[in-house]
Amino acid sequence: MTTERRLELAWSEHQGHECIRIQGWTETELHELTGLAPSGLGQRLVVLPSEFIKAVSHIYALQPLLGSFKTDGTAICFVPRFPFLDGMNYSLIVGSMTEAKDPGTSEVWTIKRPTQTGEATTDVLGIYPSAHELPVNQLKFYVHFSSPMSEGWAARAVHVHRTDNGEPLNDVFLAMEPELWDRERRRLTLLLDPGRIKRGLAPNMEVGYPLVEGVPITVVIDTEFRDATGRPLRTSAERRYKIRAPVRVRVESANWQYHYPTAGSTDPLTVEFDRPLDYALLRHCLWVTDAAGVPLVGKESVGSSEWSWRFEPRLPWEENRYVVMVDPRLEDLAGNSLIRVFDRDLMRAEDVPANVRHAVIDFTPALSLTSPSSLD
Amino acid sequence: MSVTFGTEKYGLKVGTPDIKSVGPLAFGPEGILFVADSVGATIFAIDVRDFISTSKSDPIDVDNLDTRLATYLGCSRDDLFIRDMAVHPSSQNIYLSVIRGSGTAAIPVLIKVETGGALSEVLLNGIPYTQTAIENAPAEDDVRLENRVVQGNREGEEMTFGNGISLRIAKDTLRTVTVTDMAYVDGLLLVAGASNEEFSSTLRRIPFPFNGNSLLNSLEIFHVAHGKYETASPIRTFVPYGGDTNVLASYTCTPLVHFSLSGLKSQTHLQGKTVAELGAGNTPLDMVSYMRDGEEYLLVSSAVRPLIKIVCRDIDQQEPLTQPKKPTGVPRQTLSQQGVSRMANLNDSYIVMMQQNDAGNIDLRSYNTAAL
Repeated sequence: MTTERRLELAWSEHQGHECIRIQGWTETELHELTGLAPSGLGQRLVVLPSEFIKAVSHIYALQPLLGSFKTDGTAICFVPRFPFLDGMNYSLIVGSMTEAKDPGTSEVWTIKRPTQTGEATTDVLGIYPSAHELPVNQLKFYVHFSSPMSEGWAARAVHVHRTDNGEPLNDVFLAMEPELWDRERRRLTLLLDPGRIKRGLAPNMEVGYPLVEGVPITVVIDTEFRDATGRPLRTSAERRYKIRAPVRVRVESANWQYHYPTAGSTDPLTVEFDRPLDYALLRHCLWVTDAAGVPLVGKESVGSSEWSWRFEPRLPWEENRYVVMVDPRLEDLAGNSLIRVFDRDLMRAEDVPANVRHAVIDFTPALSLTSPSSLD
Repeated sequence: MSVTFGTEKYGLKVGTPDIKSVGPLAFGPEGILFVADSVGATIFAIDVRDFISTSKSDPIDVDNLDTRLATYLGCSRDDLFIRDMAVHPSSQNIYLSVIRGSGTAAIPVLIKVETGGALSEVLLNGIPYTQTAIENAPAEDDVRLENRVVQGNREGEEMTFGNGISLRIAKDTLRTVTVTDMAYVDGLLLVAGASNEEFSSTLRRIPFPFNGNSLLNSLEIFHVAHGKYETASPIRTFVPYGGDTNVLASYTCTPLVHFSLSGLKSQTHLQGKTVAELGAGNTPLDMVSYMRDGEEYLLVSSAVRPLIKIVCRDIDQQEPLTQPKKPTGVPRQTLSQQGVSRMANLNDSYIVMMQQNDAGNIDLRSYNTAAL
């Protein structure tokens, strides 16, 4: 085979499919190659990601890139099974599969897939909890992004350090593979290592809590976190916390304060908690129904630092019975729910799990502003 | 003319499964492959039509499996995520669930590794399959959903508001279940998962053939630390053993917990027995059971330490851990194999493992059970 001629590789399309178009063949070559069946072509020509040519001593030890060669006039097109990836180099090797050749004597032609250009557009919308203080047995963080994100960056791009001296806190988070995302991949859930939080477990006794009571921390999301298009974040984001004593008490809706609206108004119903609760769970563990159990339509919102929740109905309150429903899965920052203490002390009678399907709080809006009725 | 195939009796029908992601794998009856799709919140049961039957007891070894896969799929190793591995019970071919690329470019792929090491894609168009949901689909009138304004007309519905403005609104639930492990035992698919919201330990028991009743059939398995503290947490990996009568499960908080499968049948709150703790930073990654000279053993791989071996009989005899001590619990032997992540029974003689080599690549290595 002559090596005098120069092959030209270009990004192109073949019958509606993206391909590498290879031109510059001699007439003899073209005659020979087009005469081959597709499988025969695949034995003479091989495409692979260029980075692996050097990685292995013998390229034919690798199965080439999945795809097919098609002849198209004076060109031969390689149509891959899966789309080419931006920023990658792909190489065509011209040789003979039947004679085991060493890569040094094969012809190698390389083409680079352009890298995505364009400005970073994705931001961190929020880091939760938004409270300024966390219990030392804090269980989760949520990071909300403005666009869908790529997986595999959480361990690299989320850091925790001491706010006072900048020293990093290591192994704070549980390494999850795959990571915990919502379906849109815009909200990441980070679990703090539960083995270090739970009393009596070896990790807790060996290395202690992931956080340290009294030592303020800063949680940082680096710009290197990639969005779904592969671009970094526009800016980094951080949130600072003070670390307080652990919390190990069941969440009890009886300990909350309820501010009831007046009939005839669309004033909000407000519930104030005795401690901050889990932001994600708050968004669907509380709702209001009418006496028949039909959920009301309206706007719900979580209050500052997750200390409260409010509901504004679309239609004015009537002088009828309403019910606030609480899903018992609702947790506080340390994973205590209406049912259970996160790591329950079997000796404490008050920590026996509660057998509740839903916590239910009745109320009837009064007509005047003077005395809201308070029930249950 | 209708095409017949052997797996029709399990409710499989020919079509193309809409798999959005691939995670844990498990083989069921007659070579049916269960594939967990956490993004689609679905378990697929696929007839992979692998009709080879072999009784050989040969090893399979593939150097640089990750580089080979990345070459084959046209991506860098950073863009290759091998999620799980399972061995076809009759052909001994190895099936891998792989995500190729990330973000919008991510594509779920099932790969078959033949005993000679050749890779091929498991084609999913026009294959017999069936599926079941792993969580309740949100009801249309569920007010606990997130309302989100969407562009285009691919999703959501047109809503006109009081001020005359029309917007297209999609209702999402942000809550998802990520399947962490699966196993098929005697007509039941056991599915362990982690929620991205509440912290719980839910093991779903899904009857197979799927009948839509799986959602009710879930239970939480609690464990006790040193007789004092009862906790639940997501199961990371588990393995049935003892003729499928027992399960050893590892939790995200590191204890190894035993419970009996008969205990699973009726209860919704089960307390497992903590039989060992592996210690800080030592999250178990996978477990496999095998027989040797009439004795059953378990292997446990973990993120930072070598493989450990446990005699199953010792688990049954182990008292629940009550006193903190080091090393705690059931007797275990540390083996020389380092860097092992996934494991599976290849045949009667070999266990196949994904093992990181000195260069940082992943090899497929078979180890004779007689030498473990």
